[in-house]
Amino acid sequence: MLKALSGICFLHLTTIFFLFWATIDDAWWFTRNQYTDLWGRWVMENNDDVWVYMDIPTSYRRDYLQAVQAFAVLSCLFAVFSLSMFVYQLFTLGKGQRFTYSGVLQLISCFCIMVALSVYTDHFHRDEKNGWYGWSYIMAWFGWLLTLLTGVIYIILRKRVD
Amino acid sequence: MEEEEWNNKGGPGAGPGSGVWLGINGYPAPRAPRPHSLHSSVSPALLSSLILLVSAPALAARRGRQTEAMLTLLVLTAAVLLGAAPRSDAIVIYTGWERHALVGSDVRLSCSFFSWRWTSEDVTFSWSYRPDGARDSISIFHYTGGAPYVDNKGPFRERLEFVGNPARRDGSILIRNLDFNDNGTFTCDAKNPPDIVGRPSSVRLLVFEKVPIQAGVITGAIIGVVLGLLILVVAIYYLMRFLVARRVFNLSVSKHGKKGKGKEGSQQRQAGPSK
Repeated sequence: MLKALSGICFLHLTTIFFLFWATIDDAWWFTRNQYTDLWGRWVMENNDDVWVYMDIPTSYRRDYLQAVQAFAVLSCLFAVFSLSMFVYQLFTLGKGQRFTYSGVLQLISCFCIMVALSVYTDHFHRDEKNGWYGWSYIMAWFGWLLTLLTGVIYIILRKRVD
Repeated sequence: MEEEEWNNKGGPGAGPGSGVWLGINGYPAPRAPRPHSLHSSVSPALLSSLILLVSAPALAARRGRQTEAMLTLLVLTAAVLLGAAPRSDAIVIYTGWERHALVGSDVRLSCSFFSWRWTSEDVTFSWSYRPDGARDSISIFHYTGGAPYVDNKGPFRERLEFVGNPARRDGSILIRNLDFNDNGTFTCDAKNPPDIVGRPSSVRLLVFEKVPIQAGVITGAIIGVVLGLLILVVAIYYLMRFLVARRVFNLSVSKHGKKGKGKEGSQQRQAGPSK
């Protein structure tokens, strides 16, 4: 039981780590001399090793960008709520019962990051050929996968005799 | 390959550490070192008083020759620290770091200083202006001998006003009716004879057209609404549990076989299942 517990906790912490990094680091979209998104844009002009931090240009659809920001932040929050709910339920749940609330919160977090990723993929950089998705974007997808996995595990898992 | 070349130039990994931050309208805001706000004579005094405060009671509780020796050593160290601390006669000037203003509005650039001496009657304040991208700065304001002298030929003629109080060590100026050409760095230099050694301090003025895009209104709204809904759902759940336990709400099956909710008074029905 302890092994399963520590394994789940580790998985959950990895999830939180991925989600936070994806939300905070501005590395969703890369081009040759800039990496950008969600909060700001790093641009290297003149190829001279100086990175300049600029605001996201006004050509972006502001409301969609803010929606992506909001849902990314919400997914981080729900993942943290789910972890604290899991710890709480660990001590208060009766034997043989399921960690439903933690699972539900984790699945809400999964839903939020899925919404964020879908809106981002669909509305930004659709026609830009000379760029590629960065590590934050990929980490967000891994975060989605892990939240889905851990959410389902929590819903299926039963508390056993220690 | 192009990508490899870019990577060799120290790609994204080198970004945030060596970057330059831009202001709202895209002009670079170089990072100059700020003047020290902790004076070199204050910190040894703080340190020695802290050491004394922390250790003296602990030592005083124990008696004996060893503790007496340690106490005298402690007092000596504190005295040395206090005495050896140089009283620097440098004047320290404070202005803001950056000021943002709308085009057409007024902005107040504040400047004050710290000096160990009393404010003398010959205190002087001097403001100079360097436009963005220019190399030279011009002098736009000077206060000396008790009278302010404002710019009457340069870019701020008839727009500059002295709103400071030299007796209170305040040398602030007010610039009216800002324009985009007023973007630049304003440097304040104050002298308080005989305390004249000091480093002038600069404030950057950024003028922009409208209030910056209220970053995150929609973000905050979405997050707030979702969290509020969550709290509401939890609250309603606990409220219903509380009310059902108190038998205020009774979920019962009526005679006609329909399920209905009925609000009951203090009377409790024995018949009918209640959840």
